[in-house]
Amino acid sequence: MNELELIRQMKTSDVDLTLDPHALFTRIVAGPGDPGLEAPRRSRRRRPGMIAVAVALGVAVTAGTAFGFGILGWHTDNSILKSPREWRALYRTATHELTLPPGEHWPHRTLAPNTVTSRNEPGGMAVGISQVSWECYWVGRIRAHDVPGEKRAQAALADIVRHHIVVAPPGSPENVAPPASVKPPFEIYASDGGLQFDKRTYAQAAAGNPAGIAQSCRANGPVS
Amino acid sequence: MRTPRTTPETPEARFGRVFDHLEAVANYAARRGSDDPEGIAAETMAIAWRRLSSVPDREPRPWLFVTARNLLMAERRAAGRQTPLRPERADALAEPPVESSDPVVTAALMQLAPADREALTLIAWDDLTTAQAAATLGISPVAFRVRLHRARRRLARALADHRPTDRRPVAELESR
Repeated sequence: MNELELIRQMKTSDVDLTLDPHALFTRIVAGPGDPGLEAPRRSRRRRPGMIAVAVALGVAVTAGTAFGFGILGWHTDNSILKSPREWRALYRTATHELTLPPGEHWPHRTLAPNTVTSRNEPGGMAVGISQVSWECYWVGRIRAHDVPGEKRAQAALADIVRHHIVVAPPGSPENVAPPASVKPPFEIYASDGGLQFDKRTYAQAAAGNPAGIAQSCRANGPVS
Repeated sequence: MRTPRTTPETPEARFGRVFDHLEAVANYAARRGSDDPEGIAAETMAIAWRRLSSVPDREPRPWLFVTARNLLMAERRAAGRQTPLRPERADALAEPPVESSDPVVTAALMQLAPADREALTLIAWDDLTTAQAAATLGISPVAFRVRLHRARRRLARALADHRPTDRRPVAELESR
């Protein structure tokens, strides 16, 4: 037997896919594709319909933004944070309101030199760090079959989603800020389905499929 | 004569042919020691969708394997950052491992240089042709054939080292 044949025979068995390929395909193609690929040209007859849809969408977005800004209390915040010391103080305060998995410590963060940011940014960063840390911890607990640890991570992430993530109205500007009733720290998500995606990922993890949070952990963590 | 009208292919249809290799990518990652081969495969496909114009339409596997290998290396680097490294763990993290069903074969493969190991496993495990494997490694087919030939000889030697009961001379193993 030659060497290649020997290796071929010692190949481990194929991976038994637990993820749903159809759902994965749908999720991937729902995201932004390659701008280098031009979409097929459509018939001219569809143009009036498309214009109507675009107008309706524009009205909906404008109305949604106006509703969010007028009624719900969302507003633009033009205050600027430029002192690293003040940035660190806000970050430190935020860390007292959030949790990290057992054995982890808050990483040092500060405002980069010659940089300005909004006053909500340090708290938002702390929320993101807490979120990713718990996601990575959850992946490890699922793989270790540590059910209490899994529950702890699930509860921590549910708390973050419920109390520390807010979704800005559609079409909001970069300097958007939530109503004063929203207690910091919080992370502001765009109205693009990101929060729904997170919730779906956590639901899959709670059902024993860690692929989504493992991907998030790998892409965003570790945070130290 | 009128030219028959053809409907332009949608990106989704083109991506569908790439996505058919999801399982092959997951297997590639699993046999290179990934902690999360499904996650690597899913992320590889997500990247392929975002960069679809750069994925070869006829044979996308080399492109997909290169992307998966980059993600594997990132996974290993992240694992290294997450865990304080002991010296022996640091050595283990430096090179992606391979996993075969025979510890002797695994040990012999791990004794080879990573480039030799990858040349052998791309052919034996991932069923690539020499041209496809060469594309995966970013070298010419001629250079790949030379590398494969040398890798087989080195593997024969490594197997002889790991099988003390196998008394056949190394030359006999090499001559096949």
